[in-house]
Amino acid sequence: MAKVKCAWFDFTCCEGCQIELTNFGEPFVDLLEHIEPVEFREAMSEKTTGPIDVAFIEGSFSREADRRRLEQIRERAAVVVAYGSCATSGGVNALKNHTNDYTEEVYGADAKRPHLDSQKALPVSAAIKVDYNIPGCPIDKAEFIRVVEQLVHGTAKVYIPSYPVCVECKRRETVCRYDDGDHCLGPIALAGCGAPCPADGIPCEACRGMVKEPNEAAMELVLKENGNLPERWAKDKSRMFTANIRGDA
Amino acid sequence: MKSYFLSDQNLSAFVEGLMSKYPVIAPVAKRSRFVFEKLVDASELRLDYDTTILPPKKVFFPAKQDLIHFDQHGFTCCIDPTEQVLLGAHPHDIKGIAMSDIFYSDRHCDNNYMANRKATTIIGSSVQNHYKHAFFGTMNAERPLTGHDLFMTAIEGGFAVDVVTERGEALLPLGTFEPATEAQVAAAVEVNRKAEEDCPEKLNGTAEEIREKVRTSFKSPVWEAFAEKCFSCGSCNIVCCTCYCFDVQDEWNVDGVSGSRFRLWDACLTREFSEVTSPGGSENFREERGERYRHRFMRKAAYLNEQLGGPACTGCGRCSGACTANIANPTTVINKLLEQ
Repeated sequence: MAKVKCAWFDFTCCEGCQIELTNFGEPFVDLLEHIEPVEFREAMSEKTTGPIDVAFIEGSFSREADRRRLEQIRERAAVVVAYGSCATSGGVNALKNHTNDYTEEVYGADAKRPHLDSQKALPVSAAIKVDYNIPGCPIDKAEFIRVVEQLVHGTAKVYIPSYPVCVECKRRETVCRYDDGDHCLGPIALAGCGAPCPADGIPCEACRGMVKEPNEAAMELVLKENGNLPERWAKDKSRMFTANIRGDA
Repeated sequence: MKSYFLSDQNLSAFVEGLMSKYPVIAPVAKRSRFVFEKLVDASELRLDYDTTILPPKKVFFPAKQDLIHFDQHGFTCCIDPTEQVLLGAHPHDIKGIAMSDIFYSDRHCDNNYMANRKATTIIGSSVQNHYKHAFFGTMNAERPLTGHDLFMTAIEGGFAVDVVTERGEALLPLGTFEPATEAQVAAAVEVNRKAEEDCPEKLNGTAEEIREKVRTSFKSPVWEAFAEKCFSCGSCNIVCCTCYCFDVQDEWNVDGVSGSRFRLWDACLTREFSEVTSPGGSENFREERGERYRHRFMRKAAYLNEQLGGPACTGCGRCSGACTANIANPTTVINKLLEQ
């Protein structure tokens, strides 16, 4: 069987998900028996212009100028996978959608230079059709491998949980952040990562986005009452990764 | 019933004796909480624990359990029990295990659970400190305590150890025991009675009253009122000692021909639990948060109450503590229904 031609592209992001891929080690090497990377900026200098089987797109769509490039990728890719939260929801970049524009104050006379021109940070799906989304900041290695395995072997659509991070924390018997006098977004955060952060004593920031029908009002209340966050923090807390997902997006 | 006395000084030698022959799973500290874990050193044992994050059912039925491994040639079954000792299960947790035994053997025998269950010798222990949400003194308190092999009650200077089964008795040569005096036996009965009496939370109503009241409250506005704060996060399910639902999934290796089929603890409070695919999309049997919230109480307090002759609840209080929104507490909810 011919290897599946895969290419990686990046837009508005830190390229951390590509770095995370290069950190894979053995599973990724195993994967190379089935896929052929033809473009991967963090790990190779070759570029491609021909047809590709799977395009992995990282980063958000935040500049109208990028639309054409995204459309060209879509035209030559059989399957488009948006991976990493910037690509699937706008991610941290979407915070800019809710703040004032300080370009003039920061850049002064240079404020009008073309590379500073950007619009609202949006998911890749705002510009082109996306076949699969792999959320996370960064992506979860195991989940990435699972999705790619499914694509390579053409099996059924991959299962990504729709329940919250609390389920995964409890399954691995992590001490609840709230039991440690901390706060956490676990009750509304989309699981699938295996809840590594709370297990390390770090509150969940909902980097994968929110569950369907998240109880945002209850979250605000719990952040205030159990997490002891002041009113405004409790209100804004979940925006870090969900600025485009929240009810007030 | 034979009773022995194990002095405080002889406890660790007994635990080490057990550890020399079997993996010993017992309560140990984890940050501000406790968990059942395989003892590495006898000094880790914390029989003074209040409760564990997860109930001891995980010893027979882990949160993720491989069922089969497969490749292009066929599959192999993953049932591979190890003789082990579960040490320090509280009486109400033993009742929870006995209920799980019924769920996993009634009508259909779940061999993946039963093989591990049969390979486990259970040594119970008295409650020395109460979890702040415990109400086992008023929940299934009359239910007979069965399913364990030995039971240790902390009394003055050590433990009164009741022999429940021959299997339990067979462990006694691993420690130094002396026959318990009548006074020690009486002291143990009093300790366990007082542990029930001292529960910080109390449930009103008998098993029958609860069953009737919860069943007839199906349309009560109470569910919606509590569920307003519900995250549908499933924490109350996952920490429950009588929840037994699981989800089965297949995971393929990168080679595309081999992989494994496993099961994961599932939670009926989550949206996807009651979601099914249908032509052109999906349907949800319990679309609303309040319906899912009500379902857990219906299952525990009414439906399974009929099967078990009492609610499928042990009063451990884990759900109350795991609920960040503070709406899962069975005493609050059921007592409120009983008042109406």
